[in-house]
Amino acid sequence: MADLRFDNRVAIVTGGGNGLGRSHALFLASRGAKVVVNDLGGGFKGEGKSSAAADKVVEEIKAAGGQAVANYDSVEDGDKIVKTALDAFGGVDIVINNAGILRDTSFQKMTDQDWDLIMKVHVNGAYKVTKAAWGHMRDKGYGRIIFTTSAAGIYGNFGQANYSAAKLALVGLMQTLAIEGKKKNVFANAIGPIAGSRMTETVLPPDLIAALKPEFVTPLVAYLCHESCEENGGTFEVGGGFMGKLRWERAEGELFRISRAITPEQVKASWSKIAGFEKATHPSDITASMQPILGNLGTAKTKGGNELIDLDLALGYEAQAVESSYDERDVALYALGVGAAHDPLDDADLQTVYELHGEGMKVLPTFGVVPILNVMMKNAREGKTIPGLNYGFDRVLHGEQYTEVKYPLPTHAKLTHKVRVKDIFDKGKNALVVTSSTSYDEDGNEVIYNELTTFVRGAGGWGGERGPSADINVPPTRAPDAVMSEKIPENQALLYRLSGDWNPLHADPSFAKNFGFQKPILHGLCSYGIAARHVIKSFCKGDPRLFKSIKARFADTVFPGETLKTEMWKEGNKVIFRCRVEGKEKDAISNAAVELYEKIPTRPAKKAAAPAAASAGGGAAAAGAGSPVAMIFSAVAHHVDTHKDLTKIAKVFQFNITDPSAKWVVDLKEGKVYEGAAAKADTTLELSQSDWLAMATGQANPQKLYFGGKLKITGDVMASQKLDFLKEVKPPPAGAAASAPVAAPAPAGELGEFLPVHVFAGMRDHIEKHPELVAKVATVYQWKLTNPESYWILDLKNGKGKVEEGKVDKPDTTMELTQADFLDMSAGKADPQKLYFGGKLKIGGNLMASQKLEFLKSIDKEAAKAAAMKVTAQAAPKATSAAASGAGAGAGSKVPEILKALADRLAKNAGLGKEIGGTLQFQVGDHKFSVSANGFAEGLNDKRDATLTFKEEGAFVDLVEDASKEQDLFMHGQIRVDGNIQLAKKLGFLNKLV
Amino acid sequence: MKRSVNVIGVGMTKFAKPGASEDYHEMASKAGRAALEDAKVPWGEIQQAYAGYVYGDSTCGQRAIYEIGLSGIPVFNVNNNCSTGSTALMLAKQAVEGGIVECAIAVGFEKMEKGALGSKFSDRANPLEKHAMVMNDVQGFTQAPGAAQMFGGAGREYRWKYGTKRETFAKISEKARKHASNNPFALFNQVLSVEEIMASEEVFDPLTRFQCCPPTCGAAAAVLCSDDFAKKHGIVNPVYIAAQAMTTDYPSSFEPKSMIKMVGYDMAKECAKKVYDEAGLGPKDVQVVELHDCFTANELLTYEAIGLANEGEAEKFIWEGQNTYGGKWVTNPSGGLLSKGHPLGATGLAQCTELVWQLRGTADKRQVPNAKVALQHNLGLGGACVMTMYRRN
Repeated sequence: MADLRFDNRVAIVTGGGNGLGRSHALFLASRGAKVVVNDLGGGFKGEGKSSAAADKVVEEIKAAGGQAVANYDSVEDGDKIVKTALDAFGGVDIVINNAGILRDTSFQKMTDQDWDLIMKVHVNGAYKVTKAAWGHMRDKGYGRIIFTTSAAGIYGNFGQANYSAAKLALVGLMQTLAIEGKKKNVFANAIGPIAGSRMTETVLPPDLIAALKPEFVTPLVAYLCHESCEENGGTFEVGGGFMGKLRWERAEGELFRISRAITPEQVKASWSKIAGFEKATHPSDITASMQPILGNLGTAKTKGGNELIDLDLALGYEAQAVESSYDERDVALYALGVGAAHDPLDDADLQTVYELHGEGMKVLPTFGVVPILNVMMKNAREGKTIPGLNYGFDRVLHGEQYTEVKYPLPTHAKLTHKVRVKDIFDKGKNALVVTSSTSYDEDGNEVIYNELTTFVRGAGGWGGERGPSADINVPPTRAPDAVMSEKIPENQALLYRLSGDWNPLHADPSFAKNFGFQKPILHGLCSYGIAARHVIKSFCKGDPRLFKSIKARFADTVFPGETLKTEMWKEGNKVIFRCRVEGKEKDAISNAAVELYEKIPTRPAKKAAAPAAASAGGGAAAAGAGSPVAMIFSAVAHHVDTHKDLTKIAKVFQFNITDPSAKWVVDLKEGKVYEGAAAKADTTLELSQSDWLAMATGQANPQKLYFGGKLKITGDVMASQKLDFLKEVKPPPAGAAASAPVAAPAPAGELGEFLPVHVFAGMRDHIEKHPELVAKVATVYQWKLTNPESYWILDLKNGKGKVEEGKVDKPDTTMELTQADFLDMSAGKADPQKLYFGGKLKIGGNLMASQKLEFLKSIDKEAAKAAAMKVTAQAAPKATSAAASGAGAGAGSKVPEILKALADRLAKNAGLGKEIGGTLQFQVGDHKFSVSANGFAEGLNDKRDATLTFKEEGAFVDLVEDASKEQDLFMHGQIRVDGNIQLAKKLGFLNKLV
Repeated sequence: MKRSVNVIGVGMTKFAKPGASEDYHEMASKAGRAALEDAKVPWGEIQQAYAGYVYGDSTCGQRAIYEIGLSGIPVFNVNNNCSTGSTALMLAKQAVEGGIVECAIAVGFEKMEKGALGSKFSDRANPLEKHAMVMNDVQGFTQAPGAAQMFGGAGREYRWKYGTKRETFAKISEKARKHASNNPFALFNQVLSVEEIMASEEVFDPLTRFQCCPPTCGAAAAVLCSDDFAKKHGIVNPVYIAAQAMTTDYPSSFEPKSMIKMVGYDMAKECAKKVYDEAGLGPKDVQVVELHDCFTANELLTYEAIGLANEGEAEKFIWEGQNTYGGKWVTNPSGGLLSKGHPLGATGLAQCTELVWQLRGTADKRQVPNAKVALQHNLGLGGACVMTMYRRN
C-alpha cells in the first residue's frame, strides 16, 4: 500500500512540545505536513510558561527536512494559534486538540481553581482553537479535527472529577461537530489515548510506560486526519498497541404505555429489560435514539383501562379453542342440582335425569352453561388468564348470564369452545366485562352460545363507554300469566356444586360468614336453572327442546331452604320472568327472559366430505369442489387411496386454508382425505390458498414458507415432516376423480387479483379529490414492495402531488414491506404500527413523516374501488402475470447483478474490503468470488481465510436485501462457513447492494 | 445422616454394533456377574437391583436380573433417556446412603436398532416437545437425525458466538478414537485423522458422521455398598463416591431461546457446581473425566459447562491438548460415547466402570497417571444431567 501522505496539508498540534503532541507533530511533518507546534511550555499541572518545548520540536522537524513553526500561546487564545498557521502556511487543514493539564485531587478536596483551570484548558481551549479553524475549513470544504478524550472521562477515575468532566465534554462537542461538518467534508473524531506522558509518568510503573509509548497512538491519529479516511464522529481507545472504536449500547428497554401513569413498581418489575443488555441495540444518532418513543406515540391511542383492566389487550381477545366433553351422568347431576325430579314419578322431570327413559333422555337447556364454566374454572385454577384482565376472583360478581342452544343439547358430546372478550364497560367505580363463548359439536356446528357478564368491583373509572343502561325484559304491568313456587331443599347448593362450581361460599359455613352471609348461599346459576325449569313446565309442557335462550340478571342472594317464586309473562315467543324469594319484595333474578322456538330445531346433518356450504363467508364459493384447492386435495386423496402404506404415518393433518378459507383433513390414520374439520388433528397447518397451491405444485418449498411465516404449524410440528409424500402427488388421472369433481381453475373474478396498482389508483383518486393534502403533508414517499418487487412514488410535496410506479431520487421517507402486507395494510387488515414493530415494515429517512399517512385510512373505499376497477380493466392481465411469476423465479438471475454492484461498491470504497480483516471466499450456487482488502475478485481465492457456501442463491439474495440476517441463515444451515467464522459476521458490505 | 457409599465392583461387556450382540438379558447378566465377581460378593448379598434401559417393554430389568439369580429382591426399572445408567447408579447409591440397604447393584443395558434415535410412540405428547420448539424457533427442522440437529445446532450457535473452526470439533473425535484404540471394550478401535473425520459424510453441519456416537448394544454394572459392608467383607480402600447430583431443565433451557442452553448447558453447569460444592473439590483436583460426548459439539460445550475450560476458550483448550494424556485432564480415556459406543441404558454405568478402573490403577494402556479423583458427566435430553465424583485414598 502506498504511504498515506500529508503533503501541502497544514496541521495544528496543540500541546505539541512533549509526549503525544510531539509524537503527532513529528510524524505528520515526516509525511509532508506543515505543522504548527503549539506549546505554552508550562508544566503538566498548568504552571509556568516557556518557548523551549515548542522550539525544540520545530528544530527536530526542520533538521529532518520538514516544515514547522512554533507557537507559544495558550489554547485559550486559540485564534492566535490559528493565525500563526494562516500567516506561516496560508491555511489550516488539520487540528489536533491535544494540549492538556492535570489537577488531580479527590472531589472532597477539589478547589474551584482546580475545576476552573481544567475546564479552561481542556474545554474552552479545544473550543477556541477549533472555532477559529472551523470557518476556514468549511470554506475550503476540507478539515480533520481530533479531540483528545480519556478513559477517565469515559469510565470515571478516582481523583479526576474535573478532568473526567472536561474530557467527556469534548466527546459531546466532537459528536455535534461531526454532524454539522459532515456535508462540508469537515470530520471530527475523538481518541482516548493511553500513553506514557509527562501527565502519566507519575502514576504508572516504568515498564508499563514503556509499553505505552506515544508512538503507538500517533498512527491512529494520522489515519483519522488523512483525506482517505471517512470516519466521522467516532471515539477510539488507543494505546499499547491496541486500537478500538467505542459506541453506545442500549438495553432492549421497556416501553410503557403513556396513556396512563407509570409507577416505580412497574419500573422495578421491568428492570431486567430496562437494564439488561441481552437484546441490546446500538443507536448511533438521535433518530435511532427516539425510535422506541415514536412507537409509543402510536400506542398512546389506547382504548383505555387501568391497572386492573387493559382494554387494548383484553377487548376482543380470543382464547385458544379448548375442548371438553360431558355425558349422561353430568346431565343428570345438573338436573338434580337445579331441583329437577323432586317428584321421581313426574315423567317429564324423570326424562331429564334418567338416561334409560323410554322416550330418551332430555337435557335441560341451561346445562349449556356448565361445560364452558367448567373450562373457565379449570383455566382459572391453572392460572391461565386473559391478557389485560388483571383482577382476582375476590373482585368479581356474576352479574348477568345469557345462554342460547342452537338445537336440543345431546346427552353426551365432545365440544370445542371458543372464548372471546366481547365488551368491557366502564360503570364509573366498577367495570362490566362481557365474555362470550361459542361451543361447537364434533361436526363443527355451533351448539351453544353463552354470554357471561361479570361485575368487577373497583375496576372502572377510565372514562370509557358505559354500555347499555336501559333495563330490558321488564315485566308488563298485568298480572303474571303463570306463577310457580318451589321450596329449595336445604342441601341444594351442595348438590349443585357437583356440576363444577366448587366455590366454598356455597358449602363452607365459616367461609360464607367471612363474606358476610349467615350461611352458604345458593349459586346464582342454580336459581337460573330452577327458573328455566319453571318456564319449561309452564309454557313448553315440560319439553325442554323448545327452549331457545335465557337471559337473566342476578339481583339478590338466595339461600337454600327458601322458597323461590317465578312469575312469568308470555309475550310472543318470549317469556319475561322474574324470581323472588317468598316473603321478600326484592327481585332475586330480574331483567330476565326466555325465548322459545316455535318448533323443535333439529341438529344439522353431519357435514359430508362433499362441498362445504357457503358457511365460510365471503370467499367460500371459490373454495368449493371445483376450486383449485379442492382439485389438489382430490389428487391427494387419490394418492392416499393408492398408497395404503401411508397410513403407517398414523397422523391426522388438518389443513386450514385461508384467502379464501377452506378446511381439509388428510387423515393418514384411516387413509382418508376430506373437507371439513377433524375431530382430533395431530398437526394443523395453516396457509393461504396461493401458498398451498404453490406448495402442492412444487413451486414453493414448505420449509421456506414455514420460515417465512406463511405456513403456520401447530400441534405435532415434527409430524409435518412426514408430509413429504405430497411432492409425489400427481394430478389425478382423468375419470379417476369421482370423489371430487375436477374443474378447470376458476377464472379470476371481475376485479381479478387485488394488486398494489389498485391501491395506488385509490390513493391517486383520493389525492385528486383532496389537493390540500400536498401542502399539509409536504413529503415525498418512496414505497418499495417486495415479493414480488415493485416501486411506487407517493409525492405529496410537489405541484399537485402525484402517485406513480417507479423510483424517485430523493424521497423524504421510504417505506418497505411485502406486497401481501401492503395489501393487508391498505385493506385495514394490518396495523402499520404493528408491521413496523414486527420488523415487517421498514421505514427509512424521516420517520415522523410516516405518521402523516393517517389520511390513507380516510380514503373512500367505494371511490378507490371504482378507480381500481378502471385500472383493472386496463392493466389486469399484465399485472396478474407479473404477480404470478413470483419471487423465486427472479432470484436466480439476481446474483450477477448483485456481484456487479458489489464489485462497484468495493472499487469505490476501498475501506470496505479492508474492514473485513481477511479474505472472504463466497460460493453462491455456481458463482465463486472473493472479497478482501484488494476488493472484489472472481473465482476461487488461494488466500481465503474463510469460505461461505450458500446452499441456495435465494439465501444470498435475501441477505443482500436484508431480508435475512447472516446469523439466522447460518443457524438454519443456509450458509456453511469453513475457516475463520468471525469474518462471516462482517458482511455489512453486502447490505442493500441492489 | 448420609452414609459413605463405595463402588466395590464394576463390569461391562464389549460394546457391539446393532445386530452383532447377544440379547439384552444376556448382556446385562454378563455385566452384572462380572461386577459381582469383581466385588467378590455373592448374589445373595445384593438387597436391591436397579436396572436401566430405554428401549424395551416393561420389566426387562427383571428378565435380565433373573439370569443372575431369583432371590426375590426388589428390582426397579429405570428410564431417563441417555442418562439412564447413571440414574440407576444414583438410585442404588441413595439406597445405600440412606441406610435402606447395605449392598445394591445397578445394571444398565441397551439393545439398539440401526440408525438414528427416534420416537417409538406417535400417539402421545413427545417428551422433547418443548426442546423441539426451541430448536424450531432458532433453526427450524431438517431431515437430519433429531439429536444431531439439536447438538449440531448448539455447535453452530457456539461457532457463531466464539468463531470456532469446524476442524476443532473433528479434533475431539480424533482424540476419542485414539483413546478407544487402547480400550478392548470399545466399539471402534481404529484411529482416525482429523481429515478423515472431516471427510466423512455431513450429518448436520458442523457434525460429520464420525462426530456422532453410533447406535450400540452393550451392558455395564456396578455394585455399591456401605462402609460397614465393605469392612465385613474385607474390602480394603475401595473407590467411593465423593459427591453426586442430578439436575433437570431450568427455565433457561427454553427462554431465551438458545440451542446451547436447550441441550443442557445450564443443567451441566449447575450439576457440576453441586458436585464440586458437595465434595469440597474443584476441577483442578480432578485428573480424569468421563463426559457425555454423544456428539463432538457436546464434549466441547461440556468442557466449559463443568469448568475445565473458561467460557469461549474450549477451542484453545482442545488444540493445546489439555483434554488428553499430557494435558491438564484426560477426558474420556475409554473413547467416550463417540468411540466406545453409546448403548443408552449402559452408558452411565460404563463411564463408572472406566473411572473405577482408572482410580484403581488397572486401566492398562489407558491408565491416567496419578489418578486420584475422577469425574463423571452423563446427560439425557428431556432432560437429566447426572454427575458423580469418585475418589480413592
